[in-house]
Amino acid sequence: MYVLTLEKEKRIVQPNPEAMETELKVNNLNVFYGSNHAVKNVSMEIKKHAITALIGPSGCGKSTFLRSINRMNDLIPGAVCKGEILYEGINLLDASVDVVSLRKEIGMLFQKPNPFPKSIFDNVTHGLKCAGIRKKDVLENAVEESLKLAGLWDETKDRLKHSALSLSGGQQQRLCLARALAMKPKVLLLDEPTSALDPVSTAKIEELLMSLKKRITIVIVTHNMQQAARIADQTAFFYEGTLVEFGNTRDLFENPTHTRTKSYISGQFG
Amino acid sequence: MASERNELTMPSTGRAARAQHLLKGKTWSDRDLKAKIFIFSAALLIMAATVALTVFLIVKGLHSFLIDGISVIEMFVAGEWNPNANPPSFGALPLLFGSFAVTLLSVAIATPIALGTAIFMTEIAKKRGQKLMRPVMELLVGIPSVVYGFIGLTVIVPFIRDHLGGIGFGLLAAGIVLGIMILPTVTTVAADAFQSVPNHLREASLALGATRWQTIYRVVVPAALPSVLTAVILGMARAFGEALAVQMVIGNTAQIPHSLTEPAATLTTMITSSLGETTYGSLQNDALWSLGLILLAMSYLFILVIRFLSYRRRSS
Repeated sequence: MYVLTLEKEKRIVQPNPEAMETELKVNNLNVFYGSNHAVKNVSMEIKKHAITALIGPSGCGKSTFLRSINRMNDLIPGAVCKGEILYEGINLLDASVDVVSLRKEIGMLFQKPNPFPKSIFDNVTHGLKCAGIRKKDVLENAVEESLKLAGLWDETKDRLKHSALSLSGGQQQRLCLARALAMKPKVLLLDEPTSALDPVSTAKIEELLMSLKKRITIVIVTHNMQQAARIADQTAFFYEGTLVEFGNTRDLFENPTHTRTKSYISGQFG
Repeated sequence: MASERNELTMPSTGRAARAQHLLKGKTWSDRDLKAKIFIFSAALLIMAATVALTVFLIVKGLHSFLIDGISVIEMFVAGEWNPNANPPSFGALPLLFGSFAVTLLSVAIATPIALGTAIFMTEIAKKRGQKLMRPVMELLVGIPSVVYGFIGLTVIVPFIRDHLGGIGFGLLAAGIVLGIMILPTVTTVAADAFQSVPNHLREASLALGATRWQTIYRVVVPAALPSVLTAVILGMARAFGEALAVQMVIGNTAQIPHSLTEPAATLTTMITSSLGETTYGSLQNDALWSLGLILLAMSYLFILVIRFLSYRRRSS
């Protein structure tokens, strides 16, 4: 039921994503894993304070594309990114970019909930402590605020000192979301954040993303086309490393221009 | 018709006999039986040997207390070990002190270096760690203890004598030699512990804007801590039980030393250095067996602690 209301709300708040400001401008991005050309010449504009969904079959390069934005591909030996990802006038792929500061502004949520084997409180404050924040009241306020934003405060406020591993899978993923939100990121990258969750937890995360996009630019990789249709303002379809089609979500799903997009969204392959 | 239905639901003996080859035979076939006997007797032998060894040491070790009349309290409290004096004294306190002192000293020396090396191998230079450091560590584990003792005798003892005073033989020399000896063991087990920390935890931390070093000490080390403790205790157990290398550098004087450079003795060095001078069944010989019993009790304790840690790790 609420999915319907969300649809309506989305249409009212943002009638035309193309008129919005650009947050990330990607120009001719190529990513190689050794000899494997994983992302081929991708260019796209990711709009500010909107949800951009990346869809496509497994191994199509959408996760690789996502991980090149916050330079997580640096961790993979042999990975090379070429091209430009412009963010506030800076090419994020440039060697002079401080990846530590970059990842403070561009947060990430992973496929599998991955809380640290520590208390709920310590999980949320990890990034802040690493950023040098020590004051107890600042940390406490940040924990309350982030957990509220992630819709987890009521469930956890009495057991902040308990292990994060005592939470359910859906709660763990919302904790990871709170942990990312505590850094007050400007962009949030989500790599199939609900693929390991049940439908109720998935709906909760989607609802949260809809409310978060007012202040955060969201890029989400998803296997679930209904999810993209439900929450995304713009959708990009990847196939074998290339960006086949990119546009407003409604246009892409209702009037795909490429036959491959059409056959993928109608479930003929993937 | 009626009889046919009956056959389907409840097979008669005649019908069941046709599938006889699918039913379990009498027992094992000959070939399986031989393998079974071999495997069971091997397992039985090990269990019997462990039990026999424990019982034997308990019987021999308690002999001095129960038959020879040496006081248990004296052995643990009195400060003088002089079995050949008249009257003989059997105070093992200096030996206990020596054993614990060299063990703690070696762990204090080895642990920081081992953890640093393990972190380097698993977190900093993964490729070199796997291809170069691990084989080197395995090689170091295999070096016989007499070689370590020999190096201690020719390098460490003179160095201490020249730079710190004293005769060079003593707790410090023993602690350093043992520290070097247990270093590869602690390093390898700790490296395994760091390696078993799932990679997605590192990614989560880095994605939050943590540096590599912050990720190591805030996420990787705490997550691996129980296994790292196991590594340290394994090292302690090895250091506590080592006799030869220690005996070559500690000076073998049954006294509680006042400084790290004074000679001392441990339970193990006392056994190895005086066993040859005693006759079997004598009072002096029985007292050494009691020291052996204390060593056995300690090694059981180490195993218990390791078991407890791994149990806690699995249940959490």
